[in-house]
Amino acid sequence: MALRKPRLTAARKAAPRKASKLSPAESPLPYLGFGILFGYFLSKSRATDYDSIVAMFLCREFQLYGVIITAVAVVSLGLFLLRRSGNKTFSGKTLEMEPLAWDPNRLAGAFLFGAGWALAGTCPGTSLAQIGEGKLIAFATVLGIAAGVWAYKKFKPGISPKNDAVC
Amino acid sequence: MNPAAQPSSFMLFLGHIGQLLFIQTWAWWAAGLGLGLTAVGLAWFTGKRLGVTGGFEDACSIVTKDSTFNASPSNWKLWFLLGLPLGGLLANLGHWSWTWLYGQLDGITFGSTFYKILWLLVSGFLIGFGARWAGGCTSGNTILGVSLGSKMSILATLAFLVAGVIVTNILFKVVF
Repeated sequence: MALRKPRLTAARKAAPRKASKLSPAESPLPYLGFGILFGYFLSKSRATDYDSIVAMFLCREFQLYGVIITAVAVVSLGLFLLRRSGNKTFSGKTLEMEPLAWDPNRLAGAFLFGAGWALAGTCPGTSLAQIGEGKLIAFATVLGIAAGVWAYKKFKPGISPKNDAVC
Repeated sequence: MNPAAQPSSFMLFLGHIGQLLFIQTWAWWAAGLGLGLTAVGLAWFTGKRLGVTGGFEDACSIVTKDSTFNASPSNWKLWFLLGLPLGGLLANLGHWSWTWLYGQLDGITFGSTFYKILWLLVSGFLIGFGARWAGGCTSGNTILGVSLGSKMSILATLAFLVAGVIVTNILFKVVF
């Protein structure tokens, strides 16, 4: 009892402040929802299949190139319309859409990423969708990606572009 | 013409939609449309730019409690990340099963799960390291960056594809 009392009062104090500060968009649920949608469509596009990534890079299948081209076309049009109509979200917040700063140094990282993409047959998003699909081996890929992200931060001095990543 | 046909054609339409949920692979334009609308929806609803690898940085900052990792505001990228496996699960309702198999990679790693794990750990490392260095992965650079018209993202995407084509061709036409 004595332990619980201060916790309760602290929660009561924090609650009204939080409620006024958090707009609906800052709740984690919309992000979770968009993540579910993204994982769903990644899985439906067959980007989560090793063999179709191989077929894409060997230029034997158009499927994934078509997926990328369609997605880029839709997003280009969508962002063009959003920026045209005031660069605002539906609730009036400004869009955070600064393009990635120019630095040729990044191309070395891009080549490394491309090699990893081809070897693992997956990119960061699809590796997680694969786990949901039941491809349990993808846990190894996810661990590897986390280790790579961690290592980049640790060994960054010397190789890193001046600006941090946006993605 | 036939009044009895109207509800049944509507039911037929619903049936088509229902069947779509159980089809394993959609046409490229349908899947691309879905991915694109998700990215636009995220921008319109939350104002954020799509990105997946940043979520891994959130996870790193939470696990290591190291403030040098720049976590996203209220860890929204990690929440987005957590949704991806759920989406993969939902997309395979009706024929879901777990497996250790991984397509043609099984043959390359001589059917050994241990070698396969090693292979994927190393290539995963390349993906994570390269994605942070390049400033984004296929979501942040290819889908969103290219759509923004960013010169860096367009070049990075070309580099992704060139490296992928070279590595896959070496692997499947020279080595195996």
